[in-house]
Amino acid sequence: MRKTRTQTINALPPLRRRQVLAGMAGVAAAGLLPRGAFAQDGNVLKIRGNANPSSLDPATGGAGSDHVYLYNFYDTLVDWEPETLAPKPGLAASWEFPEPKTLVLKLQEGVTFHDGSPFNAEAVKFNLDRARTAGVSNIKSDVANIAEVEATDELTVTLTLSAPDTALPLILSDRAGMMISPDALGNDPEATVEREPVGTGPWTFGSWTDGEKITGSRFEDHWREGVPGVDNVEFVIIPETATGLRAIQSGQVNIAYQLDERQQQLIDKMPNLTLVSGPTLYIYQLYVNSARGALQDVRVRRALSLAIDREAYVAATQAGVGEVATMNLPQAHWAWSEAASKHVYHDPEEARRLLEEAGYGDGLELDFRGYPDQASVQRQEVLMAQWKKIGVTGRFRNAPIAEVAGAFFGEEKAGDLLLSAWTGRPDPSLTYALLYSEESYYNPGRVTPPEGYMEALQASRESTDQADRAAALARVQDIAMEAHLSIPLSIRYEVDATGEAVTDFVANLLGKPKFRDVKLG
Amino acid sequence: MLNPLQRRMLTRRLLQTVPVLILATFSVFMLLKLLPGDVAITLAGENASAERIAEIRQNYGLDKPLLIQYATWAWNALQGDLSSSLLSGEEVTTTLARVFPNTLFIVCYAILISIVLGVPLGILAAARAGGLADRMVMLLSSIGVALPNFWIAMIFVVAFALNRTWFPATGFVSPFEDPLRAIWYATLPAVALAASGVAEVSRQLRSSLVEILQSQHFRTLHAKGLPFRSILWKHGLRNVSVNLLTVISLLVNRTLAATVVVEVVFAIPGMGNTIVNATLQRDFPVVQGAVLAMVLTVITVNLVTDMLYSVLDPRISQQ
Repeated sequence: MRKTRTQTINALPPLRRRQVLAGMAGVAAAGLLPRGAFAQDGNVLKIRGNANPSSLDPATGGAGSDHVYLYNFYDTLVDWEPETLAPKPGLAASWEFPEPKTLVLKLQEGVTFHDGSPFNAEAVKFNLDRARTAGVSNIKSDVANIAEVEATDELTVTLTLSAPDTALPLILSDRAGMMISPDALGNDPEATVEREPVGTGPWTFGSWTDGEKITGSRFEDHWREGVPGVDNVEFVIIPETATGLRAIQSGQVNIAYQLDERQQQLIDKMPNLTLVSGPTLYIYQLYVNSARGALQDVRVRRALSLAIDREAYVAATQAGVGEVATMNLPQAHWAWSEAASKHVYHDPEEARRLLEEAGYGDGLELDFRGYPDQASVQRQEVLMAQWKKIGVTGRFRNAPIAEVAGAFFGEEKAGDLLLSAWTGRPDPSLTYALLYSEESYYNPGRVTPPEGYMEALQASRESTDQADRAAALARVQDIAMEAHLSIPLSIRYEVDATGEAVTDFVANLLGKPKFRDVKLG
Repeated sequence: MLNPLQRRMLTRRLLQTVPVLILATFSVFMLLKLLPGDVAITLAGENASAERIAEIRQNYGLDKPLLIQYATWAWNALQGDLSSSLLSGEEVTTTLARVFPNTLFIVCYAILISIVLGVPLGILAAARAGGLADRMVMLLSSIGVALPNFWIAMIFVVAFALNRTWFPATGFVSPFEDPLRAIWYATLPAVALAASGVAEVSRQLRSSLVEILQSQHFRTLHAKGLPFRSILWKHGLRNVSVNLLTVISLLVNRTLAATVVVEVVFAIPGMGNTIVNATLQRDFPVVQGAVLAMVLTVITVNLVTDMLYSVLDPRISQQ
């Protein structure tokens, strides 16, 4: 035995450089073998998903990133125009408020759920009651104004409200309006379809592998003509944006949404990619605790706002992709108001004068709070440089979102200003109620809003006419911006990339894309 | 098969794993609890009331004292129940069964590359110590050790997946589904992971070989008229085999840890990605289960290495 081994070893040739190189080439070649196997399946729309969904049951999930998945399997009672978010018919063909506390929905005819059960008034009642009252529901507060739901006839639903609320149609374009098959839930409101969604949406659910992919295939009986545009949909879940961009660049996915603003320049340079971009409701802003020290004086808050050169801010922090924010809505929104936008502009001279008038001519030191990621720190640096010019100094204390937000908005009331963002709500009256109402969590000082604010807000919820609502909301925004209750900075733009074959994909103002009309050429 | 000495060593090592397991899982558990952020808030959604958050805490037992939470987890784990993900509801054992083989596949592939390339390069460098080949190998291995894996990974993606579409930029195919495509998908991540492995193996092998080749024992062999080739292959390599084994076992453990970053770069549904996402979302049953699996793997690798030591050099088990 021993002899044989010795002989074998001695028989081995000495290793030469050429052989080492040949070995290396062999390893590389082995990897190249199955190249031909890689080809895009023409009838599958592959999309880079940003996060594993929290749940595919619209009433039990909690993450804002879920909608992009939910829209494929569920339709909403109310839909919206992608450019303005103005409400338009969805599963509800029409709606009206016969009186301020009653909303009547007329449903589309001939709609069925993926399991074959009919979509009718009873199904809507089941879903809305589940959202309002079930223990598993995470969206009770969204529909808190609905006191009773009645299936008036097969295709008519009557909602009785506890207070006038014309924001409700747009609330029904969100989670609360996504209709699940009651049969799939066994008619038990406490049951869930977290892993196996059954709705009326353009695709029926195929599979969900956690953190990996979600698939769906065409729902043949879908009620919209020509929808979906592609037979199968597959979400490849890639949380990291740089990896997401590489996935679309190499042709492994057809669409990548919500990429980083800085990646727009890269997308522009790639000949095989098309950029789809547009404003969203996501707005970078400073939350102000108006109950603390110098910030109780509106002149100080105004000075802080006027000192900021927002054009420079967008150029430096968003690579120029975005727009200056002059209120808590983007300019494209139906409720944006020209009059209200006049309170926010860049005028460092005026800012210095205001500070002097308020008694801070010798300088003012403030306690800023923020987040520690690189992009946030860059935003902080730009702001500090601009405030320094009017004599405002201080230091940003950074910690993870949950910790900072808890300390700033919660009981502790730590910090004067927080540099963060507002992600938007489908109806603007919700945004204004949540940001500035006296008891609202996002009003860190719990300060009473200026006179007339709550009345104007209520008025915006009493009219059903969009022009009237816009006028009422203009008043709301004018009051909030004049008092500088927050300091809006810039609007984030959707940055999506599509591959060569993709057509009919549009960005929307909510910043949560829908794919039902997309076609592969 | 095992002699009494080896059996005694195995028993001793197995007993030593118990405190290691407890210590590792307990410290990870406490670290997770120290992190700011609360999974109940994530679960409750955007406009959740304080009551809803409290209700969720109660439902998941998150309101109980920390030690009780850990003890409950440990007791269930002992019976093979690693509990379920707080977020997706999937059983942790199912998650691990799905993602762990993917990571192991890439790690094994990377180790294979490290050995296949590292060993010949190390021998070449030692055989031509001080020469051009030696200096080239040492230069390359210095670069390999110095460059971070994720950076190499990104450069490889740009060069071989985007500029030249030889390999896919992201994704993974299971070797059980389609072995050839699995190799193709895993090549770039494995090569990125192996860069430091090749460097490490060739450096260590070179220095041990050079040391041994300069020893008196080898001078004697040389004086006896043995050709250099047989000195190197027959005596040299056997003498460095224990060193090489140590390097490889350390490499396995380190590569396993390095997958955390490389899996994110290549969007591979493996342990690394699972741990990163679960940690960000404070999904502690998943993190705990994954850490347990990783620790068990490292312990197994160490145990196998120890057993192999005593096979390669029987003196070790007698000590």
